[in-house]
Amino acid sequence: MPLKDYLITEEPYYQSTGKEIAHFEAAYADRMPIMLKGPTGCGKTRFVEHIAYRLRKPLVTVSCHEDMTASDLVGRYLLDANGTVWQDGPLTLAVRHGAICYLDEIVEARQDTTVVIHSLTDDRRILSLEKKNEVVRAHPDFQLVISYNPGYQSVLKDLKESTKQRFGAIDFSYPSAKLEAEIVCHESGVEQAVADKLVKIAERSRNLRGHGLEEGASTRMLIHVGQLINRGVPLGEACDVALVLPITDDPDIRSALGSAISACA
Amino acid sequence: MNSSKKRNFLKVIADDNGTDDTERSSQAKQVFDDSDTARWLRACRKLGQAGYGASVIDAYERYSPPLARRVGTDCAIDLADIVSSVAIKAGRRAAECLPAAAIKAAERLEDKEARFRSWMGLIERFADLAPESVEPVLLKMDVLLSRLNVSRLEAWLLAGVRAAGIDHERRLSFFMFEDAEASRWLDHESGSVVYSDMDRELKAYLTALWGIRIPLREPPAHAPEQARRRASFSQSLIRIPSSFPGYRGEQAADLYRAALAHVGAHMMFSGDRFPIGKLKPVQVALVSLIEDARVELLAIREFPGLRRLWLPFHIAQATGSKNAPGLMARLSRALLDPEFHDMDGWIRRARTMFYDRCGEWECPAISREIGGLIGNDLGQMRVQFNARTYVVEPPYRDDNLGLWDFGDEETPEAAEAEQLFDSIRIEEQDDDDDMPPDQEREEHEQSEDEEANRINMEFLAQDGIPVARYPEYDYVTASSRPDWTTIVEFAPPAGHAHVIDDILERHAYVVNRIKALIDSARVSRPQRINRQQEGEYLDLNACIEAVISRRMGETPDPHVYSHAERRHRDLSVHVLLDVSESTKDKVVGSDNTVLELERQATALLAHAMFGIGDPFAIAAFCSNRREEVRYYRVKDFGAPYNARSKSCLAGLSSGFSTRIGAAMRHAAADLKLQQTHRKLLLVITDGEPSDIDVSDRRYLVEDARHVIHDLAHDGIDVFCVGLDSGGDSYLTRIFGRRNVVQIDRLESLPERLPMLYFRLTA
Repeated sequence: MPLKDYLITEEPYYQSTGKEIAHFEAAYADRMPIMLKGPTGCGKTRFVEHIAYRLRKPLVTVSCHEDMTASDLVGRYLLDANGTVWQDGPLTLAVRHGAICYLDEIVEARQDTTVVIHSLTDDRRILSLEKKNEVVRAHPDFQLVISYNPGYQSVLKDLKESTKQRFGAIDFSYPSAKLEAEIVCHESGVEQAVADKLVKIAERSRNLRGHGLEEGASTRMLIHVGQLINRGVPLGEACDVALVLPITDDPDIRSALGSAISACA
Repeated sequence: MNSSKKRNFLKVIADDNGTDDTERSSQAKQVFDDSDTARWLRACRKLGQAGYGASVIDAYERYSPPLARRVGTDCAIDLADIVSSVAIKAGRRAAECLPAAAIKAAERLEDKEARFRSWMGLIERFADLAPESVEPVLLKMDVLLSRLNVSRLEAWLLAGVRAAGIDHERRLSFFMFEDAEASRWLDHESGSVVYSDMDRELKAYLTALWGIRIPLREPPAHAPEQARRRASFSQSLIRIPSSFPGYRGEQAADLYRAALAHVGAHMMFSGDRFPIGKLKPVQVALVSLIEDARVELLAIREFPGLRRLWLPFHIAQATGSKNAPGLMARLSRALLDPEFHDMDGWIRRARTMFYDRCGEWECPAISREIGGLIGNDLGQMRVQFNARTYVVEPPYRDDNLGLWDFGDEETPEAAEAEQLFDSIRIEEQDDDDDMPPDQEREEHEQSEDEEANRINMEFLAQDGIPVARYPEYDYVTASSRPDWTTIVEFAPPAGHAHVIDDILERHAYVVNRIKALIDSARVSRPQRINRQQEGEYLDLNACIEAVISRRMGETPDPHVYSHAERRHRDLSVHVLLDVSESTKDKVVGSDNTVLELERQATALLAHAMFGIGDPFAIAAFCSNRREEVRYYRVKDFGAPYNARSKSCLAGLSSGFSTRIGAAMRHAAADLKLQQTHRKLLLVITDGEPSDIDVSDRRYLVEDARHVIHDLAHDGIDVFCVGLDSGGDSYLTRIFGRRNVVQIDRLESLPERLPMLYFRLTA
């Protein structure tokens, strides 16, 4: 099987925060394309990995960026010593062999790039490789998942209406304090009490969302702080390194956040 | 020698200078060597002959020898010249104070000769600038220098001079500390932590900690002393002291944080206000105290670190005095500090009572109950409580007025005005944020008349609304004074929109040329154009494809080059018009007034930009002292250019002065929010910046120059169209030679405009 390497063999840790697993599985039963919305670091990518593991399907992940062209997705001809060879892009690979294709941060890609997925996301389920003069019919297992962070993108970077409406959506947000503490505990290995503090700290930064910060501290950041604490870094310093300094360059906000953090512990 | 005897003696020498040299020299010889003695005597004689009066010479003679011991003979002798010059400029009384002040200054300046010399120079200069204020300043020299060094002192003196402008009485009231500004600037210059330095941080702290967003304000300048010392809150506003005297550096910053954390705790946990009922003042104070402790302990349950923040400010000792304020400060500490043990019976009882009920802390009623009980106890102990002098301790706690319901609807006008002020600001920001830059491109002239008739700025009545404060740069101290100027926005008076249409009709040819010029300007990031038949670079992807085609036996595509090119115009323009009094003047060699020419040029530009779809805004300004820089919004970014904006443009009239720096800062604030590649502030003015409260001609020029530098950091280009009314032109000094074009008639605008766009793309 060509996508053997893309199979996830160990169960990735994922703490469900609602009915998202059931919803996703129902959508997958009909191969409905799904978009995952939510702030950065709240577990979208982990969720897809977890789902892929549960469904025992290979997962092809593409991180989109603004210079990405359509051929980066579908593939291109390359030169070799004897002539030219066609190289499937990640999307084509998933379509041909039946994987879940996950396009991370799809809005980062240029808009003309995103239209190549249109024919895959309606009942046609085909991908046409113009250069190769081939139409690939999607493998029955193929499903397209995209992630999309509506928060910080400017109005200029939004999905086309025609793209949006092809997808079902699952909304992610930060888990409840208790769950989040559990996640931080599990992922970083800190004690429950420390994890509780970290979650409280995260809430402080999330209060500043839109009032000095673009986005509050993510669960991922908390895990980083926890990992530093586990290596013997004191809580205050760990917060500085893994939370305050990365999240903002504004000295006033840094200082305010620092004071709020020191109030939490 | 006592002073009356000395005075007599001085009278003698003032009358007859020759005879008393012996007396003086015997004195002087104890301090000076022979040659210096002679010099000193000469200086004394000179002062005597100048006829400033005996008291001046007396003071000099008395203080200069000890001064010589501190900062050296030369300084002491040179002081005579300064005394003389101060006497001439500022009068005899000021000169009389100078020698004594000099001793204090020498002491404070640690007897460093160089520092002392610069102090002398400063006093001499100050006597030029504000002669009437020399005496009060000299009398306060000891206090001033205890907080400021010489250069800071200079900055503070200049702040006073600049604040009052040419108004002598105002200047004097500043230097007598009758004006609250004086203390504020003293705080500022002495490097004490002042609220305005921490404003943003504290707001963010309050939001982060408690999720509370509510305006923070300093108390008004006329508030009583007590109200200025402690924070205060109501449902809609937090008042926070401008400074906490006696606290410096990090400690003062912590005090501010502690104060806000405390007010936040009230807002989270205090619930409804207590009815004041028939409670006695002492009971009110004690209920408040218990309530303070209750909300703090609840807050500490949530945020244990707050105890670390609050405790250092509890400095009451168990052995402290047994008067009411002392006992109350001790109780405050006993309730909060588990390590603090007070043996006083009343305090122990109160503490036990409070902690016995710790299960009920969530309920505010217990504060009322416990406070009432311990209030009775205190009454029985016959401890006197004076509500008038009582100030809440420790200093981070608020005055507790927000806890009490006094029965009447207390909505002070000031607070209301503040809120209004805030809501306007917020509205404006929302407007700007929500409006994508290319919204402008879609604007239509629909419902034009309707728009023109509707008054959609109800706020901007005739009086104008203060909307923002900006710093101003003082070149003498090479630093900016925060919040120095206030922008007051006025609704532009409406004129007749057809005036603008007439202009366009009359200059139809010029209009078209300008439009073509702007349209052909390419102001944007260079873009790489791939797959060209020729170009500067090889397009690698195309090359590979070409080779692939060749290998596959197809005809390769010859478009294998790429080149960079500016294709679009990604530019927002903010036109800022100077409508000061001087724009009434005629333009040299023309019948038009400057304002008329400004209006015409703006109409032409606006028409062209609107036709092409570039985002642009138009505003006009003039100023009436630093407290009132008038700003008229003719057209905002995002607003349509229609009959209404045209009538505003037509309605502009000349008046007042030209405080150009402040206006540019305000215009740039709008421009910064634009998301275009280039941002251009186009200032149309006639020359020299000025204002009636500024006598130093260079001051506003340098401030404006400073703004240009600042804006360059923010990626805003500033360009000036100068309409020459024949006066001295400071424009090249402010904007730089290459950023100014002078035009004298409208027809020359199209000739000059390309230069502007060329500068943006070069």
